[in-house]
Amino acid sequence: MIGARILLVDDEVVFTKNMAKLLTNRGYVVTPVNSGDSAIRELEENDFDVVVLDLKMPGMDGITTLKEIKKLGLFTETLILTGHGAIDTALEATKLGAYDYLTKPCEIDELVAKIEGAWEKKDDAQKDDIQEKIKKVVESPSSAFSLFGKKKSKK
Amino acid sequence: MEGREAIHTSTHDAHIEELRERRKHYYARFFRRFALLIIAFFLVPLFLVGWGINTYYTKFATARMTNSFHALVDNHRKIIELFLGERSSKLHLTAHTHSRDYLAQVSNLAHVFEMINLEQSSITDLGVIDEHGRHLAYIGPYDLMDKNYTNAFWFKEVMKKGLYISDMFMGFRKIPHFIMAVTRTENGETWILRATINTEVFRSLVENVTIGKTGEVYLLNQQGIFQTSPRFRGKIMEKSPFPVESFHEGTRIRILDADDQKHIPRQIVAQTWLKEPHWMLVVKQDYSEAFSDVNHANRATLVFLLLSAIATLIVTVIITKHMVAVIRRRDAEADQLSKQLMQAGKLASVGELSAGVAHEINNPLAIILTERQILLDLVGQTPSLDEEFKKELVESLSQVDVQVQRCKRITHNLLRFSRRTTSVIETVNLNEFLREVIELVEREAKTSGITFIPELEEGLPPLLTDPSQLQQVFLNLITNAVDAHDGKPYGSIHISTRSDDENEGVEVVFADTGSGISQKNLEKVFDPFFTTKPVGKGTGLGLSICYSIIKRLGGDVSVQSELDKGTVFTIFLPYSPPSDLQESMNEELEV
Repeated sequence: MIGARILLVDDEVVFTKNMAKLLTNRGYVVTPVNSGDSAIRELEENDFDVVVLDLKMPGMDGITTLKEIKKLGLFTETLILTGHGAIDTALEATKLGAYDYLTKPCEIDELVAKIEGAWEKKDDAQKDDIQEKIKKVVESPSSAFSLFGKKKSKK
Repeated sequence: MEGREAIHTSTHDAHIEELRERRKHYYARFFRRFALLIIAFFLVPLFLVGWGINTYYTKFATARMTNSFHALVDNHRKIIELFLGERSSKLHLTAHTHSRDYLAQVSNLAHVFEMINLEQSSITDLGVIDEHGRHLAYIGPYDLMDKNYTNAFWFKEVMKKGLYISDMFMGFRKIPHFIMAVTRTENGETWILRATINTEVFRSLVENVTIGKTGEVYLLNQQGIFQTSPRFRGKIMEKSPFPVESFHEGTRIRILDADDQKHIPRQIVAQTWLKEPHWMLVVKQDYSEAFSDVNHANRATLVFLLLSAIATLIVTVIITKHMVAVIRRRDAEADQLSKQLMQAGKLASVGELSAGVAHEINNPLAIILTERQILLDLVGQTPSLDEEFKKELVESLSQVDVQVQRCKRITHNLLRFSRRTTSVIETVNLNEFLREVIELVEREAKTSGITFIPELEEGLPPLLTDPSQLQQVFLNLITNAVDAHDGKPYGSIHISTRSDDENEGVEVVFADTGSGISQKNLEKVFDPFFTTKPVGKGTGLGLSICYSIIKRLGGDVSVQSELDKGTVFTIFLPYSPPSDLQESMNEELEV
């Protein structure tokens, strides 16, 4: 079985490269990017299951990127990576709809566990959504057209 | 870094010194201005009122004094006139109720003489004289029977007017006396009844009147001859040194100015003329005595004014001093507050800095961890590796992990410290908390040869408190304890916790083996700005801030110390802070 599709966002090039290698070793499909802007671009073009997002980045920071991601209205779950001191920001991020947060530096096993959780949640939400849509079409067939419209935001 | 710090503090001290100097001038100026203002506001109206009262009262009192002098003179005049009137009417009555022939008999005249003098010896002799000036009869101490009065002034006057009262004269008797004579015309012939008035009685009537110490009463005739002896300066029959005014009705009052040559002080003089004879009654008194009441009142007013002025001055000085003291205290409080703010600001910036540093270190650490993981993955994926090498590598990599975890703990502590620069009430595991604080300063203390001996009671209930402020207190106490070992090669800081269920709190004890605090200074350790450290080294605020923080958190702090043995700070912290603190914190958060 193919692992989750992961978008890795961190301004540290070496970190994303290494982490991408480690996650690939563990069966995931990883796309590393080094800024918020490129993350948004990636998300607009390709499908991802989980975004691993660093909060402290030059240019567009983590929180802004998260808000932008949420605006896209995807099922993709976001996992926050942060330094210990930025717990407040991490909590704010979860309020904004991030799945969970991890403090850097972290063990690879810890990260994998969180990614699995996020992926599962994303899958469940997607399945629920489809079921709901089917229910709607059964109740009023005319709404079937909306299925081809924009994806509904989770919130 | 240290050098820069020193320069900074010295300029800072100079600035404070300058500020103090400026304040001192300001206080002095304020004091002067305020005092002057109050004095002007109090004293000007006070003196105005005093002056007004004084002027009015002097006028009033002078008028009253003059009036009473007036009444006094009138009274005396009436008494004298009454005396003379009584004598003249007795004489008149005698002359008209007895015939000349009857009275010419000496025995009859003696009887009448006796009757007149029955109650009071008011006449000294009595004579009947015919129209040719010859004595028909005489009763008296002198032998005057052969005297002829035809040419005497009085004889002519009485023959003309019917009644005559003479001025004082010496006459044949060589003592001052005066006579009174009345005429009666009987069967076409005029005769005279003549009496010599007992001058002793008359004179005592005037001369014995005393008015105060300097007052005198006397009579003058129209020529200015004393008719009675004045009390001072002059005798009867002498000429008065003062010029006599011509006859006038009523009473006149004058003020005579002082005559230094004759040593006569300023005097008040009242004068009035008798109707018969034309004698002038004079009442005199030294002005100073007559107006002593007024002067006394004036002096009293002056003393009162002076006392009021002095009282005003004293009150002014006290009030102003008090106000300056209040301002000074306020300034000192403001200073303390700004110093506390500065301290807090410093702490906050240190926190921010360490947070930044810790955060930056976390990134390379994260990379090191990923590199280690990659190597571990590689080792796992390569089965052909030499076992020995593999073992060494894994061991080495685990050591990398241990050291990275250590770094991580350090940065996490730093970050936690920085996070605690904002105040929030939260649950704190005190033992854990203390261990973190100790960890933060342990290395630094070790270089000074100081070891920490924690003795933390297991199962301590968690506290609801403000960790940022608590951290400040603990760091402060530990820093002080480390500093107390200055000059000692090694020492220890004993930190223990103990739950106190009875008081619903925890007791934390910091005991050091430092130099201790003298008994004298022990009372002042919690006072703001009290420090034994050299100038520029300590603000003297640390313990006072600790004290106020602990109090704010609802706790208490006490200190015991012995010189050269060490100091013990005992802190009590309640399980939960006072409700008002929690409320104020919540409000701050909501804002």
